[in-house]
Amino acid sequence: MNQTILGLLISIFIFTSCQKEDNNNTPASYNCNFSFTDSSTANANNAKYKQLLTDITASGVPGIAMSIHKPGVGLWLGASGKADLRNNVAMKPCHITRMGSTVKTFTAVTILKLKEEGKLQLDDKASMYLPAWAMHNIANADKATIRQLLNHSSGIFNYIRSAQFQTASLNDLIKEWTPDELLAYARGKHAYFEPGTDTYYSNTGYIFLGMIIEEITGKPFWQVFQEKIFTPLGLTATSFAATNTVPANIVRGYVDFYSNLQVTDATYFSGWDYYTADGGLISNAYDMNVFMQRLFGGNIINAASLNEMLTTIAPQKIDTDFFPIQHGLGIFKISTPYGDAFMHSGDAIGYYATIAYFPATKTTIVWAVNGNYGKIDQFASSKKAMEKIFATVF
Amino acid sequence: MKQYLLLFCAAALFSLSTKAQKHPTPITVSVFNEATAIPFTKFVTTPVHPGIQVGSNFWNRERKHTHLFQTFNIGYFFHSKLNHGFFTNTELAYDYKFNFGLNIKTSIGIGYLHSFTTQKEYQFENGSYKSGRDKGNSRVMFSLGTGLGYRLQKSNLYSPEIFMMYQSWAEYPYSPGFIPVMTHTNLQLGTKFFINQKKDK
Repeated sequence: MNQTILGLLISIFIFTSCQKEDNNNTPASYNCNFSFTDSSTANANNAKYKQLLTDITASGVPGIAMSIHKPGVGLWLGASGKADLRNNVAMKPCHITRMGSTVKTFTAVTILKLKEEGKLQLDDKASMYLPAWAMHNIANADKATIRQLLNHSSGIFNYIRSAQFQTASLNDLIKEWTPDELLAYARGKHAYFEPGTDTYYSNTGYIFLGMIIEEITGKPFWQVFQEKIFTPLGLTATSFAATNTVPANIVRGYVDFYSNLQVTDATYFSGWDYYTADGGLISNAYDMNVFMQRLFGGNIINAASLNEMLTTIAPQKIDTDFFPIQHGLGIFKISTPYGDAFMHSGDAIGYYATIAYFPATKTTIVWAVNGNYGKIDQFASSKKAMEKIFATVF
Repeated sequence: MKQYLLLFCAAALFSLSTKAQKHPTPITVSVFNEATAIPFTKFVTTPVHPGIQVGSNFWNRERKHTHLFQTFNIGYFFHSKLNHGFFTNTELAYDYKFNFGLNIKTSIGIGYLHSFTTQKEYQFENGSYKSGRDKGNSRVMFSLGTGLGYRLQKSNLYSPEIFMMYQSWAEYPYSPGFIPVMTHTNLQLGTKFFINQKKDK
C-alpha cells in the first residue's frame, strides 16, 4: 500500500511540475519606426539627454525610452538599455511598453468628454451608474460622487493594498483578473474616510469609473478610449491590454523581486490590469508625449473641463518621500524646484512610466522603463530619480 | 549558514541511524500544494504549486493519548513562474490521539530555504545585465502547522498513518527594502510508515 501511495504522490508531483517557455521572440519581433523624421540628434541637448539615459541604465534599469517636448525647441526622443535581454535587443523610443496607471489620465479625460456630451455630471453619485453587484459591500461606493472617484477623495479601499490580493497575485503570476475578482478584495473593508474629507489613492475607484463609462456608452471602456482619444489623436502605437494582452512586439518587462538587481522576465505578470480602467495602457514614449501636449493644449477636452481636471485638493497626510502633491481629476500636481508639474506615474509588474507637463514652460516629459520593484525603483521612479531627470531637462 | 545546515543534517541523520538500531524508524512522505497566501484565509489555492517532503521523527515522548516529538524534513516545491525551493526544517510537533485512530496534529518549526528562479535570471554586472548562473537565495523559514492524521491499524503502535497538514510559513528575508517577509501556505497530504520493524519484534 505504501508503494501505491508513494507512486500516486510522485505522479501528481511530476505531472504538475511542467512549464513552458514564455519568450519565443526574435530581434525582428521588435521592429518599429516612426512615420516622421526624427530630428533628435539635431537637438542642442541631445548629448546631455543621451547621457542621462545612459546613467539610468548603467545604474540597473534594464531599458528606458524618453520623450521631451519644449515649445520652440521641438521633440527629443531617446532610449538606452535593452528591450529584450535574452535576444539582446536595444531599446528604441518607438517600442511599445506598459504604461500602468497613467491610464487613469485617459479614464478621467473620457469621463470629462462624456460630461461635455451631457451624459453625466461630475457631482452625480457614482451609484447612479454602477450595477448593484459591483458596489456590494464596498464601503462608500453608494455615497461617492464621480468627481470623488476621479480625485481619490472617495475614501474607498484600494484593492491593491490588500495583502490577500498581493499574495494571491504572486501565487498566480499569469492570471488574468476580472473586475469582479479585483473588487472582491475591497469588499468588507473599511473606508479610509468619509467621501470628500481627504484623499487617498484608490485603484478601486478607477475600476468603478471604467464601469461607468461602459454603462453610459454601452461599449467596453477601452473601445471608448479608442474612439474618443487614440484614433482622433493618431496614437497608432497606443492600445488597451484587453484588445491584445501581450502584443508580440511589446518590450520585455523585468522584475527585481529580491532587491539584488538579479531580474527575471515578467512580461506576462500584469494580468490584474488587463480589463479594468485603473491600468492596462500600452503605448510608447512618443504617443504619450503627444497625448499630454494635446491635452494641455486644449485639443482633447474644452477649457472648462481642463480647469475641472486641474483643480486640485491636497491630502491631509504629507508624504515626505515625494514632492508636495495635490490630487486633480486623473492627474496630480507636484511642486518641483523647476515649477509645478501635472503628472501621473504607472506601474505594471516589470514596467514603469511617468508622464509630466510643466505648464510654466509648456514642457512635456515622458519616460518608460521595462523594469521595476526591488532596487530598480530608486533609479527610475523615486523622487531622487525624478529630480535628476528634471534637473537635466531644465 | 550553509555550514550550520550541514552540521544540523549530519546530527539529525546520526540520531536517526542510532535510533534505528533499537526501534522502528518513522518515515513521513508527503506531497503538498504551496501558495503565497495570507495564512488561514484560504484552504485550497490554485494553481497547484507542487511540493514533496520526506522526513522522520526523533526525540519521541509518547503516551496513550499524546505524542510530543521533533521532526526533521527535507523537501522541494515548484512555484510556477517564480521559484524552485529546496528546504530543510525541524519542527516541534504534538499529536493528540483518539482511540479510534484519529489524531490532531500541531507543529511549530524553523528551517532553511534555498530558492532558484524558474526562469532565466539576468544579473547586473559592470553596468549591464548579463545572463548568469543563478546561485539562488538563502532564506529562513518559520512555520506553524495544524492537521489531522489517521492510523490504519488502531491497536498497532507502529501503524501506517495518512495525514493532512495545513502549514503556514513565512519566508525571511524576502525582498529587503521592498517586501520584508512573504507568507506561504502548504496543504500537505502524506503518509507515515515505519521501517526496521523486524528488529523491534
